[in-house]
Amino acid sequence: MADTIRVAGDTLPGADMNASLLEVDGLRVDFTVRRKRIPAVRGASFTLDQGTTLAIVGESGSGKSVTSQAIMGILDSPPGHITGGEVRLRGVDLLQQDEETKRTVRANHIAMVFQDALSALNPLWSVGFQIGELYRVHRGTSRKDAKQKAIELLDLVGIPDAKNRIGHYPHQFSGGMRQRVMIAMALALDPEVLIADEPTTALDVTVQAQIMRLLKKIQQERNMGLILITHDLGVVADVADDVAVMYAGEIVEQASIHDTFARPAHPYTKALLRAIPRVDTVGRELEVIRGLPPNPASLPSGCPFHPRCWAVEPKKCSSEVPPFEPVADDHRSRCHFAKEVYRDER
Amino acid sequence: MGRYVIRRILQGLLTLFIVLFLLHYLMALSVQIRGNPAILFFGGERTPPPAMLAQVERLYGLDNNCYERTGDPCLVPFVERLQNYASGDFGTTLNGNRNVGELLGIYIPNTLRLFIFATLTLVVVAMVLGTWAARHRGRFIDHSVRGTTILIDSVPVFLILLAYVYMAAVPLTRWARDIWGTESFMGQVFRPNYNPDYPWTTILVPGIIVGTVGLATLTRLVRASQLENLGSDFVRTARAKGLGKMRITIVHVVRNSMIPIVTGVGYLFAFMLSGAVLTEGIMGIPGMGRMIFQAVQRQETNLVVVGLTVSAVVVVLVSLIVDLLYAALDPRIRYE
Repeated sequence: MADTIRVAGDTLPGADMNASLLEVDGLRVDFTVRRKRIPAVRGASFTLDQGTTLAIVGESGSGKSVTSQAIMGILDSPPGHITGGEVRLRGVDLLQQDEETKRTVRANHIAMVFQDALSALNPLWSVGFQIGELYRVHRGTSRKDAKQKAIELLDLVGIPDAKNRIGHYPHQFSGGMRQRVMIAMALALDPEVLIADEPTTALDVTVQAQIMRLLKKIQQERNMGLILITHDLGVVADVADDVAVMYAGEIVEQASIHDTFARPAHPYTKALLRAIPRVDTVGRELEVIRGLPPNPASLPSGCPFHPRCWAVEPKKCSSEVPPFEPVADDHRSRCHFAKEVYRDER
Repeated sequence: MGRYVIRRILQGLLTLFIVLFLLHYLMALSVQIRGNPAILFFGGERTPPPAMLAQVERLYGLDNNCYERTGDPCLVPFVERLQNYASGDFGTTLNGNRNVGELLGIYIPNTLRLFIFATLTLVVVAMVLGTWAARHRGRFIDHSVRGTTILIDSVPVFLILLAYVYMAAVPLTRWARDIWGTESFMGQVFRPNYNPDYPWTTILVPGIIVGTVGLATLTRLVRASQLENLGSDFVRTARAKGLGKMRITIVHVVRNSMIPIVTGVGYLFAFMLSGAVLTEGIMGIPGMGRMIFQAVQRQETNLVVVGLTVSAVVVVLVSLIVDLLYAALDPRIRYE
């Protein structure tokens, strides 16, 4: 099934099948802390096409999780407020919809896999109940049929002996198996977009790879759009098609995965890449990015990365905000010296 | 699950056994140190003839000579006592020679009524106020709920009771009687004292007053555990699943916040026992609290031991119920 065909009742009214699957345009999110407005996301824009994987990469506090929560419509409000921009699913701006429509969009069209499955699953209900709940609430399925569907899903995500595991509780699963349960839950209503917020951070390395392969496999089989949110470029190297690097609430570089690794055009991306442990640098000290991510309440003037930048031109970088400009086809960077960095001249 | 239940029941029985033994030992010590309570039978001051004293001692199970050796645990009378309790024989009172088993038949239901009303008041009011405060965290409602409950909780129960009995009960009863008549619910409910013809109606108001014991604690417990769950990751997941507000609250918040609340209620139950002594005394309710109080005043050793045994059984039973509720609520405890 290349094009997702929808049964009546959960189609999005006004959806245009020719429009891009998901377009985020100038999204701005503020947090109100002690009556002060603090910008968390400052105009993020990206496009996700059907059947592709976009990785959003950044340090903690860069706004990547807030972006995903704003897309899902599950931002804690207060303190979070979406103050501008559009989130278009097949051309329909989700931010303008009423609460009922937004509720239908979640799970039916956009689903989410969270970071720590142990705390993201309710400890007091069996996994079968928590998966089946989606069918019962959104489709009015009977308890028995919902259970059957939940078994099929657990089977699909590779949980052995799904029939007996269905009645088990989250604490009875290992970390990797729990994350598979989360994935099964997200897939229940066959969404077109899957957002995975650091899906492997809480897992050990061998399990990380399994979960990544599973996500990739499911994404290809179902022809979904997948957004992977991570702080680890290494993890997404073989699954992502495109990369958006976030820093201080902005996307600072956007390119295909190949270009990002081969020819980064932003000093921050380059520094991130150098911080990945590699086989050919064994024995040498791992590079770190000096300093800390900026406090969103008091961002540095000019380019927010300039205090930590290794290629800084003090006068220009601390006074002028760099534009987000293309350096090549489908490759944009928010740096005054993007072209030089891209050509490796800086 | 089965093993968990059996283990908890055995633990309860062990606790009960230890409490019974300690009670018995304390009683034996008091007889050994303070002197023979059988002398009270003769009015306390006079010295009775030895033959009659021996007869009375036999009647009240004080004829074992272990009672003359200070520090002796008196195991033989202890076993006899347990056997008597097991066969439903709780002895007689020194004063009036009444069957204690029969007295319990009157007193226990009254105290139970008081506790039912008190627990219901406590749980319902604390749940409603706590949930309300959690919804409006940090705002005016939150602060006023906190202030009001602390105010109510910090006024001693007997003060509220006395104020009610002496200031409100009589005018209210008079007013209600003129409208609905003496024999109606309204005519009885505000009575300042117990009426054996209306055991439920006349215990309602004292029950509600006893229910204010620990109100502030439980309200804050409800508020805190709801806030914790409202901000939890699994509630965020539930929202991401497109569930409605009602369903999230009922399915994913209330059950999760019940565990600390059940703990709190079980804990406050023991506190209410002490509230019952005062309440039953002031309102003239023939219940366990008043019985124990009077038994202590009149040095009715046997009655004190029986009364404290009953309250120990209640406390053990309540904590057993709390443990079983934990298991019913939380699978992590069930499969421990």
